Amino acid sequence: MDRQVDVVVVGGGSTGCGVVRDLARRGLDTVLVEKGNLTHGTTGRMHGLLHSGGRYAVSDQKSAKECIEENMVLRDIAAHCVEETGGLFVKRPEDSEEYFQEKLEGCKACDIPVEVIDGEEARRREPYLARDVEKAIALPDGAVDPFRLCVSNAADAREHGARIETHAPVTDVLVEDGEVVGVEIEHETGPGKRVHHEPGTTEEIRARHVVNATGAWAGNVGGMAGVDVEVRPSKGVMTVMNTRQVDTVINRCRPKGDADIIVPHETACILGTTDEEVDDPEDYPEEDWEVDLMIETLSELVPALEDARTLRSFWGVRPLYEPPGTGTEDPTDITRDYFLLDHGDRDDLPGMTTIVGGKLTTYRMMAESISDHVCEALGYEATCDTADAPLPGSESEARMAELMDEFGLRSPVARRSGQRLGSRADDVLDEYDPNPIVCNCESVTRAEVQDAIGEAGSDLNAVRLRTRASMGNCQGGFCTHRIAAELAEEYPEPVVRDAEDELYQERWKGQRHALWGEQLSQAMLNHLLHATTMNRDGDPASLDGEVDFGAFDAGPESPDAADTDESGSAGTAAADGGRADDDAATDGGR
Amino acid sequence: MTRHTEDDDAGDANGANDRSGDREGGRENPGRGGCGCGEPAPGVPQAGRDEQPSVFVTDGGDVPEADVTDDRDAARTGGESTADRAATDGGVESASGGTESATGGTDSAELDPEAYDPVDVFPGGDLDLREGADSCYKCTSCDTSCPVAEVDDEFPGPKFQGPEQWRLKRKEDHDIDESITSCSNCMRCDDACPSSVPLSQMHNEARGQYVERQMEKLSVEYIRNRILANYRTSASLASMFPRTASFAMNFGPARWAMEKVMGIPKERDFPEFATETFREWWKARGGANVENSDKRVAYFHGCYSNYNTPEVGKALVSVYEHFGYEVMVPPQKCSGTPMFANGMLKDARRHAETNVENLVEAIGEGADVIASCTSCSLSLRQEYPELFDLHGIEDLAEHTFEALEYLRIHENLEGELDAAGGLDDERAFAYHAPCHARNQGLSRQAVETFRDVDGVRMEDVGDSCSGISGTYGWKEEKYEKSMEIGAEMFEHMEDAEGEVGMTECPTCAMQMEHGTGYEIEHPLQLLEEALDA
Repeated sequence: MDRQVDVVVVGGGSTGCGVVRDLARRGLDTVLVEKGNLTHGTTGRMHGLLHSGGRYAVSDQKSAKECIEENMVLRDIAAHCVEETGGLFVKRPEDSEEYFQEKLEGCKACDIPVEVIDGEEARRREPYLARDVEKAIALPDGAVDPFRLCVSNAADAREHGARIETHAPVTDVLVEDGEVVGVEIEHETGPGKRVHHEPGTTEEIRARHVVNATGAWAGNVGGMAGVDVEVRPSKGVMTVMNTRQVDTVINRCRPKGDADIIVPHETACILGTTDEEVDDPEDYPEEDWEVDLMIETLSELVPALEDARTLRSFWGVRPLYEPPGTGTEDPTDITRDYFLLDHGDRDDLPGMTTIVGGKLTTYRMMAESISDHVCEALGYEATCDTADAPLPGSESEARMAELMDEFGLRSPVARRSGQRLGSRADDVLDEYDPNPIVCNCESVTRAEVQDAIGEAGSDLNAVRLRTRASMGNCQGGFCTHRIAAELAEEYPEPVVRDAEDELYQERWKGQRHALWGEQLSQAMLNHLLHATTMNRDGDPASLDGEVDFGAFDAGPESPDAADTDESGSAGTAAADGGRADDDAATDGGR
Repeated sequence: MTRHTEDDDAGDANGANDRSGDREGGRENPGRGGCGCGEPAPGVPQAGRDEQPSVFVTDGGDVPEADVTDDRDAARTGGESTADRAATDGGVESASGGTESATGGTDSAELDPEAYDPVDVFPGGDLDLREGADSCYKCTSCDTSCPVAEVDDEFPGPKFQGPEQWRLKRKEDHDIDESITSCSNCMRCDDACPSSVPLSQMHNEARGQYVERQMEKLSVEYIRNRILANYRTSASLASMFPRTASFAMNFGPARWAMEKVMGIPKERDFPEFATETFREWWKARGGANVENSDKRVAYFHGCYSNYNTPEVGKALVSVYEHFGYEVMVPPQKCSGTPMFANGMLKDARRHAETNVENLVEAIGEGADVIASCTSCSLSLRQEYPELFDLHGIEDLAEHTFEALEYLRIHENLEGELDAAGGLDDERAFAYHAPCHARNQGLSRQAVETFRDVDGVRMEDVGDSCSGISGTYGWKEEKYEKSMEIGAEMFEHMEDAEGEVGMTECPTCAMQMEHGTGYEIEHPLQLLEEALDA
């Protein structure tokens, strides 16, 4: 294991993917390692807002200016990841007029194009807005799909010679002679794509420079190298609504606070968020009051949310950072700016750079600045072209009408496929005929699922992130098995089975926080369907011990017995697969 | 709920329509009464209450005086300011609407924020039904109940057309999949859904948007559909020369040409036109023979009973007069059923304006509305309030009944039939319940009414769809499928003892006759005979 590459980037979130793309395009030999699938950490757990900068226009004008600049860049280079929804900062009667004016002035100072509209006009644009919303500032917020964005960056990097290694946690940072010389990774046994190595093996990747882009986990990687990186992870909840109550990003125009944004994202709306410091980015409580707070507070802006169907909730951890000694008490006051930590200068440990803080909207700018820094450290000269070169999928507009005709897709299906795949739509859809729909809720066809399997391997959660399959209102109840079936041709049965379970579990995880009303009914229907048709409540094939077939009843005995009470209960027992009173053995004692 | 307007610049002060009120009144509460039993919706004059306060206030009793006055004022102002927009609704915001709010008010300071009222419209007056997708669990009961999906592999089914397509919509997305034109609007999916997804409303709205925006207005298909949808227009022309029309419409070479040019299948026989329409008969008769201010019904005869089968209307009159009802026959146009099925929502709305205005007036005079056609009654009860926001439309929905249903509620039919002693000569019928009767919970009413009547033997031929679904089976490209859907019914009719068919729906009757050659009667005709009315 003595192969040496130019740069190892640790972390497959937006920053890491951005950096590896940038470096690869500059011609450096680069490897990206990620412990889960791409966007596994914070990137995959954000609300999908493409900032116009409006949110920071009062408190942090530097960030605001960067946001509006990068906002415009992403509309160009990542058109298929961005939906140009526009955004509103709305003012309710109890919100401060002074702050509204400050916000307006701030936006103007940061060159964010704004328009002030009255409440009537705001409701004309968004009919579900509360009737007492007084006025609003309209600005170019948007929605961005972080999964698609990261995947496109990684794909572009790979096209330029980079190696992308997922499901490969860093187990050690190699330090020799007071210098970082690479990392050791472990290839996990999960059902992910393992391009180069067998599961369970470790590998040393030696590199001239290591970039630690692990966000909230930066402290862990830093620790392996023996340096302190004082990230202050802060959790925030996001709640996903089944349909779009609004088609515009709605922000509450007030200084700061929880639950002040609604982002229309694909078929759903995402409500956000809270801001609470946690000790461990992997282990923190997910509390119901946070979800309640989202719905209650944001109903003040969009009352329909109160009764609307909630699909799930998830939590993300912000990689907040502040230079040692700043000592900010409230995490909401910690700057959203990013910091580049050169451990050579800082800790006298050359060969590694850590990047922390920042936000998805400015990922490309951060990547450019860290790539500049790495090139300088390596004495390598190359120019950055990531602001101009479109990402794969955004080279041209998808031709919606032609997709329908050519591939026989129904119009909403063609529209969604086109929006997800962008300029790749032709190539992807061309592969399969017939091309049935695998996920009905999100209109994902077999061709798209197969394309994602081709890229992501047997990790169905990675397939989900690429395609949105199983992210609709049934939350996988009607499609996890269909998606898994698409693996069956290529992968052995146990892998398929594990992949299916993993996807189903993941879908269940978020639904736990939405178990009331319609989603509770959906979850019960899903469970019953899976329990009765796939034995998910106790699949004998997944049990350790032998199945005690003797515990099953023999069915109705004879017509004579039909009148007795016993035969009635025997029938019931048969119907639920032999799980009558005392036969815990059949379901493995679960 | 704000609905389709004739013109996009409607939008008056009556917009503060209470949505939850609409719902309860419209769909879940089709029972009797309703006048004054709920709070008046803010700013929206209740039908009858404002126009005929003497009747409705006394009935309701609990309506505060102040509200009545307010309502009347609102009605007056509303009426004046929108005089040339003929009872258009409140709150439809125009795309170019300028300063008025989407929620209908012109001054938010006067609005009560507690009385939250989103106007569920996309710009341009289209309904935004995305939230209806919240109720769908993907269980697919609708798809398995869809008669078209059963025979048409190309049709993706009601779940796709309804909740799935709506959920995938975005504000700026206006293209609707063409397959919506294959939905026959039988509305069985509404009945099948265990979770009250407003499927047919979603289909109707999507179809309307498709036809309005995406269908080529000069295409043969559009023109053919428009003619089929506007049956009343053709029928009223034809009945000026009924005999000639009946002959000409079924004249071989003419039919050949119709199929080639218009896509109307030559296999089908056009219904004969009556030499005297129901209304002509009514006029010649001098109107009602019974006057009774306590028992009044307003008869919505629809087009078919008027132009083609006036005997059904006459039977209704004699049965109702037998029970001492004063029958009113208000001016009326098409119920809109064929227009909904063809996405001609503007046509339907225009006709609805006349119907609602006249029927609400009759309700104000103490009448309930009855229809002899189950599709007409379903339209007035369900589709009207779901799709339009005409003044008084909720009251109309609450006061509308199918004719036999109404008698079964208010009269001792069983006793009367028993007393009348049954038929002299035994008759046997093969009864088919129309899908639209099924949706109103009426699929068993004819069988139940006549099962104990001596001399009548009636057999239910099952719960399949007849396949014609109004205009669906009148399209050349749908003819084969229509007959395939109907095959089960034909077979069961042949197996049934009776040689006479029976159904409440005129187009089901056409299909039954077409498939079996049987004579088809309406239950009211049998009731007239059994009661000796």
